[in-house]
Amino acid sequence: MDGKAAPTRTPTDLVGDMIELVARAFVGGVAAAVAMSLAILALSATAQAATVNEAKTGELLLATQTAGQYTVAPRIATEVAIEVSGMVARTRVTQHFHNPGSEHVEGVYVFPLPERAAVDRLRILIGSRAIEGRIREKGEARRIYSQAKSEGRKAALVEQQRPNLFTNTVAHIGPNERVEVTIEYQQALGYENGEYRMRFPLAVAPRYVPMGESAPIIGPRTRTAEAASGATLINPVDIAVFIDAGVPVASARSSYHEAAFSKAGDGRLVVQLVKAQEEADRDFELTWSLSPANTPRAALFTQSQGSIDYALLMVVPPQPTAAERAAFRAMPREMILVIDTSGSMQGASMEQARAALLMALDTLGPNDRFNVVEFNSVTRPMLPGAVPATSRALADAAAWVRKLKANGGTEMAGALTFALDGRDTPGYLRQVIFVTDGAVGNEDALFKLIQERLGGSRLFTVGIGSAPNGHFMTRAAQFGRGSFTYIGNVNEVNDKMSRLFAKIESPVLRDVKVHWPDGTPVETFPEQVPDLYLGEPVLLAAAARAPLGTVVVTGTSGNKPWSVALTPDADRSAAGVGALWARAKIAAHMDEIARGTALEEVRPKVVKVALEHHLVSAYTSLVAVDVTPTGPMGAIATALVKTSMPHGAANGTDLPQTDTAATLQLLLGLLALLAAGMAAVVGRRAELAGVA
Amino acid sequence: MSRRPAIHAAMFLLLGLGAWQLASAGWIHAKALLAQRLIASAWTQARDGGPARRPWPWADMRPVARLTLASRNVDLYVLDNASPRSLAFGPAHVGGTASPGGHGNTVLVAHRDTHFAFLERVEIGDELEFETAYGRRARYRVREVTIVDQGESRVLDEAGEALLTLVTCYPFDAVLPGTRLRYVVIAGRMA
Repeated sequence: MDGKAAPTRTPTDLVGDMIELVARAFVGGVAAAVAMSLAILALSATAQAATVNEAKTGELLLATQTAGQYTVAPRIATEVAIEVSGMVARTRVTQHFHNPGSEHVEGVYVFPLPERAAVDRLRILIGSRAIEGRIREKGEARRIYSQAKSEGRKAALVEQQRPNLFTNTVAHIGPNERVEVTIEYQQALGYENGEYRMRFPLAVAPRYVPMGESAPIIGPRTRTAEAASGATLINPVDIAVFIDAGVPVASARSSYHEAAFSKAGDGRLVVQLVKAQEEADRDFELTWSLSPANTPRAALFTQSQGSIDYALLMVVPPQPTAAERAAFRAMPREMILVIDTSGSMQGASMEQARAALLMALDTLGPNDRFNVVEFNSVTRPMLPGAVPATSRALADAAAWVRKLKANGGTEMAGALTFALDGRDTPGYLRQVIFVTDGAVGNEDALFKLIQERLGGSRLFTVGIGSAPNGHFMTRAAQFGRGSFTYIGNVNEVNDKMSRLFAKIESPVLRDVKVHWPDGTPVETFPEQVPDLYLGEPVLLAAAARAPLGTVVVTGTSGNKPWSVALTPDADRSAAGVGALWARAKIAAHMDEIARGTALEEVRPKVVKVALEHHLVSAYTSLVAVDVTPTGPMGAIATALVKTSMPHGAANGTDLPQTDTAATLQLLLGLLALLAAGMAAVVGRRAELAGVA
Repeated sequence: MSRRPAIHAAMFLLLGLGAWQLASAGWIHAKALLAQRLIASAWTQARDGGPARRPWPWADMRPVARLTLASRNVDLYVLDNASPRSLAFGPAHVGGTASPGGHGNTVLVAHRDTHFAFLERVEIGDELEFETAYGRRARYRVREVTIVDQGESRVLDEAGEALLTLVTCYPFDAVLPGTRLRYVVIAGRMA
């Protein structure tokens, strides 16, 4: 710095200095502005990354087998046609693959389907030729597919990756060629509070997990912006639903998407999306109800296949009267509230969990008993045992809950062992509310623990945060004979928790048993009917080696016995009931793994059922192969079609995010320091100029 | 002059900002280095057959293996939990894939700018050594290097043979985090 010479400077020097000063101030200002905007960029780095990176990679350019060489991935348009008949829906998903590139490619498409979808049909259409898929053991299916691929023949392979996630691999899509792949599945509809409910999982944009703890979902925002700007959809999805309820539908509603409703000539209700959707942040959900006079109280659908009768049974328990509900409520409860305070719960999750717990405390009355337990690396109960819920005790508990902080590991076993002691407290309904994000690795061991120690308790899991382990919590609640509630954001806490508490305040029907005609050997799933809460139906799939007669369902409603008799109605014979039963049986077999049965023992059982019923499972796949070769022999490029991830499962499905902001921060830090240096120089100059 | 306080304020703000960003960047690298030291002692115990100890009392993970690539001076302790939190401390074994050293496809992930930065220099034919509990050793030879989209979960699929799959983010020198691409190194078990 040459400022020291200032006193002897000439006027010309001074002018030069002034110009330099202005120039430096300008540069400094620009640098500061750049630094500031970069800082802002850093703060929103996760949001920017999606678009920046996508623009850079063009998102459909993907690696080939030679590193550094890329090809254009095929595009997919998906058409979904869902036919609803009574309690059953059959869905046909048609994927139109188009290869815009100049080479033969293999397209890989990962897509979500509903959890209990029984996938039983695959068909590829090339021009006017249709090829039916066959069910094969997974390894064999892959061999058949690979061989066809190496011989230059078109082939398609549908594999189950997870119970709700499938891949479709299509070999030899020629340059500018279109191949149509159709997959069909069967599913039983949800029915609750007098409403039918059907979901079709739609694509969801990737969820970025930055190195920090919270995982903001940025997908929906960028996606919606794109869709709104009229950008062409890369993999559009079109959905049409045809509802044949047998009686008129009173009301129907699409929960998250704009849909058009119309009546077809044959009396069916037709629902169509107003515009083709892509990567919405939510599943397509359709609910509808029948007029009260037609609302089913019980239904029995049957299907005969060979010597076996399959049945799907639904019974809606009686709605309790006001007096009965008051009586339920008077039944004292012992509620154990367990809260996960591990490090992964930090931030918004912890807030939601606290809010949920405080709501739970609010529902307790003076006749109830309760305790609160927190766990992270260690389990820390508020009190050594449950105590009566006096207003004093509740106030203490609320204060205790408010002070909870998230830190440490997730040792769930200790908390479960404490909460589930395998004992009943006589005269009390024992309910364990377990609030967690379920970030655990030892799921199977925990399931086993729940089964062994449940006793008369019921376990209700509450999933918190943007990426809870839904699979773990759903299963844990099943083993705990309770239910799973998912809370996606703080605004939902009130609504979802009130619904949960309204439900568990009144078990409408307990000790449910299904009595089949004497002497008919029947295999049912689920084997044990859980307690039913307000608005829930009994839903059961059964297979019998003899024609089914009258079925009687009994239970205890309040303190009174309750029963209903059902006779199969010849008119209500429904296709696909067998497939649903088989799918339920496969799920039951897969559960055995959680209970400690060796994989080698379970696998053949699953394969047997799946092959008999032509179903895709963890160990069986559908494969279709063209007869004549149309592509080159040998290796071809593999391209992954932009995938659709179910909301909430994206985290588990994507490969983990493994970059940090370190480079960015280093760069920003240096820039800011540089700018600070400039500001210092400018400041010094200003000072000296003032002296001069 | 009235400009001075403003310039001073800007200077301190920028100094603060710079220090904060540099410290954050340094913290990421410091955690990556320091944690591996702490994990080393926990590992010695696990290897000798003791119960795998947590490297520090509130840790969310345990070491399950040691990965070395002598020719490139790589020596890393592999953790059992692939959450974003523990990835700051070391490479992690992806739950659900074959256990380290076991039969099937063992998948490890780590950050591209710390532990797995060396993958950029790994070449086909390089030999990796894997040491698992009870001091068992397994050697792998790199046979394939590829770049995939993050949705390509097939990388995690089980395999009929013993494979070691190393996954990190790509490109290595990206400034902004959050890429969709993954750099994948696949190595096959040697005898």
